[in-house]
Amino acid sequence: MSGGRTIIVIGIIGLALGLQTGCTDRQPDDTAPVKIYRHALDGAPTNLDPVQSANIYASFLVTNLYDTLYRYKYLARPYELTPNLATGMPEVSADGLTYTIAIKPGVYFIDDPAFENGRGRELVAADFVYSIKRHFDPQTLAQGAWLWQNRIQGLDQWRADGADYAAEVSGLRALDKYTIQIRLTRPYPQLPHTLTQGFAAVVPKEAVDHYGREFAIRPVGSGPYRLLSFSGVKAVLERNDRFRREPFDPAAEGYREDQHGFTGVRQLAGSVPPLSDRIDVHFIQEEAARWNAFISGEVDHIRAPTTQLGAVLESRSPIRARPEIAEKYHLLTPLETGFVHTDFNMDDPRIGYHQDPAQNTRNKALRCAIVKAFDWTARNRALYFDLAQVFPGVIPPVTPEFDADLDRSSVSRDVEGAKALLQQHGWTPDNLPELEYGFAASVAERQSFEQFRAFMGDIGYPPEKIKALAYASFGDFNRALKQRKVMLITTAWYMDFPDAENTMQLFYGPNEAPGSNSANFRNEEFDRLYEQSSVMQASPERTAIYQRMNQVLIDECVSITGLSRTFVLLWTKNATMYPDLSFLSGHFARFVDIATDRHEAE
Amino acid sequence: MALLQYSLRKLFYGIPLILGVTFISFLLMVYYGPDRTFELLGKNPSAEQIEQVRHQLGYDRPFLLRYAGYLKELATLNFGFSDSTGERVGSILKRTVPITLALVLPGFVLGNLAGIVLALIAAWHRGRWLDKLIMGGSVIGMSISFLIVIIAFQVIFSTPYGFNWFPVRGWEVHDLASYSRYVTVPTLATVFVTLGYNTRFYRAVLVEEMSRDHVRTARAYGTPPAVLLYRNVLKNSMIPIITRVMFSIPLVVISGSLLIESYFGIPGVGKVTFDAITTGDQPILKAIVGLTAVLFVVILLLTDILYRAVHPRIDLK
Amino acid sequence: MTRPASDSIAVAGTHSGKGPWMRAGQKLRRDYYGLAGLLIVLLYFFIALGVWLGFWGQDWSAAGGGQWESAGREHWLGTNRLGQDIFQRAVFSVRTAFEIGLVVAVLSTLIGAVLGAVAGYFSGRWIDELVLWLKGVLDAIPFYLFVAAIAFAFKGSAYAMHIAMISTFWTTTGRLVRGEVIKLKHQEFVEAAKAIGLDEMRIIFRHILPNTTHILLVQATIVFVSAIKSEVILSFLGLGVQDGVSWGLMIAESTQEVLVGQFYNFITASLFLFILVMGFNLFSDALQDALDPRSTGSRP
Repeated sequence: MSGGRTIIVIGIIGLALGLQTGCTDRQPDDTAPVKIYRHALDGAPTNLDPVQSANIYASFLVTNLYDTLYRYKYLARPYELTPNLATGMPEVSADGLTYTIAIKPGVYFIDDPAFENGRGRELVAADFVYSIKRHFDPQTLAQGAWLWQNRIQGLDQWRADGADYAAEVSGLRALDKYTIQIRLTRPYPQLPHTLTQGFAAVVPKEAVDHYGREFAIRPVGSGPYRLLSFSGVKAVLERNDRFRREPFDPAAEGYREDQHGFTGVRQLAGSVPPLSDRIDVHFIQEEAARWNAFISGEVDHIRAPTTQLGAVLESRSPIRARPEIAEKYHLLTPLETGFVHTDFNMDDPRIGYHQDPAQNTRNKALRCAIVKAFDWTARNRALYFDLAQVFPGVIPPVTPEFDADLDRSSVSRDVEGAKALLQQHGWTPDNLPELEYGFAASVAERQSFEQFRAFMGDIGYPPEKIKALAYASFGDFNRALKQRKVMLITTAWYMDFPDAENTMQLFYGPNEAPGSNSANFRNEEFDRLYEQSSVMQASPERTAIYQRMNQVLIDECVSITGLSRTFVLLWTKNATMYPDLSFLSGHFARFVDIATDRHEAE
Repeated sequence: MALLQYSLRKLFYGIPLILGVTFISFLLMVYYGPDRTFELLGKNPSAEQIEQVRHQLGYDRPFLLRYAGYLKELATLNFGFSDSTGERVGSILKRTVPITLALVLPGFVLGNLAGIVLALIAAWHRGRWLDKLIMGGSVIGMSISFLIVIIAFQVIFSTPYGFNWFPVRGWEVHDLASYSRYVTVPTLATVFVTLGYNTRFYRAVLVEEMSRDHVRTARAYGTPPAVLLYRNVLKNSMIPIITRVMFSIPLVVISGSLLIESYFGIPGVGKVTFDAITTGDQPILKAIVGLTAVLFVVILLLTDILYRAVHPRIDLK
Repeated sequence: MTRPASDSIAVAGTHSGKGPWMRAGQKLRRDYYGLAGLLIVLLYFFIALGVWLGFWGQDWSAAGGGQWESAGREHWLGTNRLGQDIFQRAVFSVRTAFEIGLVVAVLSTLIGAVLGAVAGYFSGRWIDELVLWLKGVLDAIPFYLFVAAIAFAFKGSAYAMHIAMISTFWTTTGRLVRGEVIKLKHQEFVEAAKAIGLDEMRIIFRHILPNTTHILLVQATIVFVSAIKSEVILSFLGLGVQDGVSWGLMIAESTQEVLVGQFYNFITASLFLFILVMGFNLFSDALQDALDPRSTGSRP
């Protein structure tokens, strides 16, 4: 039909191929082989200022460019804290209110024009104090203050008084060049965990002042890497030659032959991180493109997209890779440190609390019927390749407080039971309320919604009564949550540290919207238990309280919950590493070693 | 001198247009646009913190003041810093515009050239089978969605299900070889999609010109086709051709590249703009919309001047 | 988005004995490609009607099948990731496409006709300047940015996409109608109407505008095509259809599937879209040829 055009198209292809074959030589390598680890992330950070490193993309870079006082051990699972910039674990006073932390001397910031003579100066305790204060400075648009607010003596007052950095905060002081003292208003056992985060990274005041707004893209830190270039699609990190020499000690990092033997990381014992000379971080949003970049050898490590798992795995239990995959790549399948759940907005009288006690009871019955109608097995199969772990309540399997023996009826589908419950409380297809299911528009979210609607159809919920509330961006969705406008709220919670307190606070009454309690759940017993447990150190008693709180949430049918995804991590056999996507951090990258013969092999 | 005067007057007439474009865009994209407040807040914000962030972003200032501030930014070409990355808007544009130009230019040029060539063939053989073949082809080409072409071409050229010749995505350009690796598939897609429209348009223009008496006469006297086409037809058709090409420019720079850039993950100005819309990065939006409007006015002017160059008969008035 | 006006320069006055519409009908009847196009459009309209009336395409949201089943007796064109029937979804999307196409085509043609006619009649006066300015402004904002901005400004409204398309697609119709009206307003019948003191609005809408119907018809078909093609791209970008299903949403779903070798969703939606657009294009061309005043002699 289109003869003339075809000829031209063929001509163009020919031309392109000609160009191609004419010059395919790669960039010439320098004398010494450069070890480049190429990492892929499924989104791009916009801002590398630690006070705004709220997402995994920014924190991956921030934790490599800056120093934090603590980090998690490279290999140990469950996660264990270990000192990073600090010399040891904090000294805590008997009342649990005063933390004293010594930091390592002789740690230098990278050279940068921001410093006098362009030479990086030594990092001192006052820098840490300054860095945390920045979260409480309204000018910085910081996002990490919630970790410490109303916890550290005088810090909230400091903000109220106008955030003058010269003013001293009684609860956050540098006792000398190398000693930090934090005084709390009430015990906060999770404090050391918060100090592993990108939010708590140490920045030099000179650089913040020098670069102003552009500090967000000109990181000046003391981490194992420094930034070479950064754009919306790629960041290039180069080793920081002044990074302190701390040889890799497998035992100290939690090495266990049975868990980690296959990776070969033991051979790296004694070598000094950062082990790679460069890290190229590729930001690839589209799943398929990310996958293609991986199999064509353009990146070294990837979290395999769910759609590709059929091509990756031979069996699900035990999880085993197909031979052609296993031959080329290492495989690791950890559970995510977080969970997916759908909350009911308890402030919405159509489904949540109602002034009329009779209606209140009916609403609860409706919520419980929806929970019963939800088919976690089908959800897991359709969207998570049957690899996710479904669990009752909000204490995910990765937390130490997880109870494997908890009654699973809240996550087992019971269509008849749901129908009976509706009937018993007088719900009929005619009087059932319209359900509004909110999400930030994306293919996967829309599919979740459509599947939800199909589940509800099975208990006789008319499909036209289940509406999609698609928000154009996550920010808009988030705002609607904060304004309590969304009736059914599906979110994934990424835990900040391995302690169920972090998920319990999602349902604590005073945290209601605009706080993180988007369900606007208010329960006297729950709140009392939360307050009681939040000042307790980890202990069997505290675990018992958590589990009681969990039961309250299950009994009140406040959420359809929950599911922790299994991450299928693959990495090329050229890389000697043990990847870790947990808790918004990228500390593991310094331990990644890359075989340098790769370029010759190509 | 007359030309200068004329240009200045034209530019002056462009001011209401620029005001209109900036006003509507400002109203939609900035005033009613996405609210960044909740992206900048931490996990457990208080009402007071929300207010603080809104104030920082300037959301609490009156509309007219904000708009006036925008006009001032446009006049001084100082758009400040991106809301999300903190990078200077100017340096973002400096980084991304060249990428977009390098990306869309080959497809744009080839699409138009190929369109003109095919149109010439069709017009010359008007009503005969070759004409019908070409026009049938262009209707088919016009009926295929750009999106479908992009997806199909990626599968065909860049995955193991097809030829797997080119990278799936990205833009790691440092020399001619890498440039041709990354630009080929987007270019093919652009040419494929625009060819149908271009061919039809140019054929219509050429047919009109060819049916004029002087061309018919020349043809009857046996003037060689190449000479005839060049001297009598193509030259006289320059005005519609220039108009089409010129007015495609602002659209090619922004809209045309948006889909390609987001699908192929190319960090050009289209992707930056789209990201800015979805995240509500107002300084970037303000800069792009304002500059596009200015570009539009400049193109209106240039088109007029080009007309004059092609047809000196047209008066500058 | 739009295509150039007619390219046919036919010999004038071959059927001078009959009315222009009759002549157009005759011309159309002999244009086999155009008739094929019309047939396709009518077939699709029939499908859409069936969906409206609930005869078919009703099970588009049920997730009854397995993941990515192949075409077979149970699911004629296979299933998607959730186990939904792709054929049912494609059929239901015909309705979505017609809803969008009709709404956008009718309203943007209406707006273009009214503004174009008023501007043309009062050409050179302030109201004309205003319309031209508005058109210039709307043309100067890149289309996808404009739509995205509208989508955000109307926060999740199901009609954001329609509003965006209507407010940009009327400009071409407006320009063509304005040009035609400027030509018409100096003709005798208008002068006569003015002379007997008829109200100006009455002249515009009763006497002049009906004489531009041929432009409006052709433009409406062109806008229809533009609207359903834009829907696909907008839905892919997450700015289009919010609830329900459309070819754009199906293609958006399929972008992840095609790279794992699941092509049913992509091919089905693409073909459904392609055939309809093709049909409309053929029909639109034929209509244009048939109605072109230059091919039927000048109008009275």
